Amino acid sequence: MSQSGSYIRIDNVSRRYGSFKALDDVSLDIAKEEFIAILGPSGSGKSTLLRLIAGLDRPTEGRVHFEGKDVTELAPHKRGIGMVFQEFLLFPHRTVRENLAFPLRMRKEPKADVEERVEWVAGILSLSTMLDRYPSQLSGGQQQRVALGRGLVARPTLLLLDEPLANLDRELRQEMEIEIRRYQKQLGIPFIYVTHNQEEALSMSDRIAVINNGRLEALGERQAIYDYPETPFVARFVGKSSRFQGTVGPDGKVVRLARHNHEFALPTGSHLIAGDAVDIFVKNERFDIARKQDGGSGIPSTVVDVVLRGPFVEYVLETDRGDTVIAVKPKRNDAIPIQERVLLSWKPDDCHLFKAGT
Amino acid sequence: MTMATKLQRRLILDIPTGFLLLFFVMPLTALVILSFWQTENYKIVYEWTLINYGTLATEGAYITFFLRSLAMAIGVSIALVILSWPIAYFIVRYGGRYRIVFSLLLVIPFLSGEVLRLIALQGMLGPAGLVNGALIRMGAAPLRMIMYSNTASFIAFIYLYLPLVVTTVYLSLINFDFRLAHAASACGANRFRIFTEVVWPLNLSGTIVGFMLAFIPTLSASLVPRFLGGPNGTLYGMSMAQQFGESGTWALGAAMGVVLFLFSVLALGILSFGVDLRRTGFTGLGRS
Repeated sequence: MSQSGSYIRIDNVSRRYGSFKALDDVSLDIAKEEFIAILGPSGSGKSTLLRLIAGLDRPTEGRVHFEGKDVTELAPHKRGIGMVFQEFLLFPHRTVRENLAFPLRMRKEPKADVEERVEWVAGILSLSTMLDRYPSQLSGGQQQRVALGRGLVARPTLLLLDEPLANLDRELRQEMEIEIRRYQKQLGIPFIYVTHNQEEALSMSDRIAVINNGRLEALGERQAIYDYPETPFVARFVGKSSRFQGTVGPDGKVVRLARHNHEFALPTGSHLIAGDAVDIFVKNERFDIARKQDGGSGIPSTVVDVVLRGPFVEYVLETDRGDTVIAVKPKRNDAIPIQERVLLSWKPDDCHLFKAGT
Repeated sequence: MTMATKLQRRLILDIPTGFLLLFFVMPLTALVILSFWQTENYKIVYEWTLINYGTLATEGAYITFFLRSLAMAIGVSIALVILSWPIAYFIVRYGGRYRIVFSLLLVIPFLSGEVLRLIALQGMLGPAGLVNGALIRMGAAPLRMIMYSNTASFIAFIYLYLPLVVTTVYLSLINFDFRLAHAASACGANRFRIFTEVVWPLNLSGTIVGFMLAFIPTLSASLVPRFLGGPNGTLYGMSMAQQFGESGTWALGAAMGVVLFLFSVLALGILSFGVDLRRTGFTGLGRS
């Protein structure tokens, strides 16, 4: 049944703990050479999915296939995977060299090959100078690279990464994001990257699978997930956005905001009809702000703060109804000053509309 | 530094130091000195001599007692480690929220005192005891090996020190991060390799402590052989106790005490310096 071209196939997999459904009927095909991010809030079931793929846990229902072979009942050590954990989980009683050699030794590779592979992986991860140290003598970033090396050293069929950057500081994280993506392209094996951090998912992966309450909420190219969210959850979770409530006007052509004196045209092709209550999501960078003195329509607001973020400016706005909205704009010389009265609006195609309560 | 904190530091340091000097160093010194004197007709002869050590090194009975004690201590400690691991492992892995209850249950025998526990065991293992009584009633021959023998002593030592060793291994395992076993599994290690490569070495220091907690008291035990050892079950510690009691040869007893002390120190030294603590994940900094 699963003889398609997919490299990893997850087939209607569920995992129940008693009456709690940690994972509910999830299907996912992963191609060779693909970098896929599994994105979800904590407790969404994303780590359970990873553990099922690794074999550290068994599904209650459904099958897992690697290269057309059913591995559902196969123990983790027979799956030929590499795994990187959030807490690194390096063996504290072994040097870096021994940690890196561990997966090779477990696969009973000849000694010469072990040394060669360790040198190779230490080379690409810049670990060559610290091979004889113990994990406790390394910094967080170095430990992370050792963990990555241990996952990659034995030519795994795929690499599973469980929030590997969560314990690193921001700067190091951004550096590692680029590195990890580079290794994936270099090695040509699938990376399955679990994270709750949408920025990491967006910056590294080819595709993103969004998991919420144990269900696969959305699956698609990262750009599509970002620009065309299919569900309110994805709209809220991916990217930074603000939510408004409104109703479709009696003519079925405009959306009127509930709390603010503003309306905008219903995008063409919308399934919404007159009288529908809607949730409106607008990404922070899609807002238009105009000075009130210049006229036009929009939500009347006041600039309460301006946060400089290098090439971008975050305008913290307070609407006249007391809501806080953040609008991100490219930094230019004519920044709007604090306390300025502005009108906040967006183009109909720049927002995402969902029928309320869906 | 203020006077108050200086005083605090003095108290914290000086009280234990004084205690150790008074109750540990002084008696030990007295014992060592006594071992180089002699006792004749229940009187101490204050004359420096090595004769006690000579007796211990040449007289067959003392050598036998010593070797028997050493073999017993090694055998008991190894058996206890082998027994304790599965028990502790089971409690830690599958005890769930009852873990604390299980570990407290283990300590219950300790609440009754050693003599009482030995008398209970005598009732179990003796000629008319529970085991042999049942065997005789069923028409079978009684098990001679468990009546007043070294086997009986062995069983008693296991019974006495099992809670100590299980608790020690339990404390080690409860602080062990079992996600490391998952990591090893994801690295291709099967159950056996996970144990030999990760779980065992990372709990070795705790296991050694458990081993020593059984080894040292077994090596110098006097009550167990007296209650259960029978005619061929005399151990070194029991013989030593007799020197201070019935035979009144305190100086010889003191020399035996020194020998026991030195061997315990030696065993401790071999086990703690023979093991590279770093290879047990021990950094001296706790878990980071």
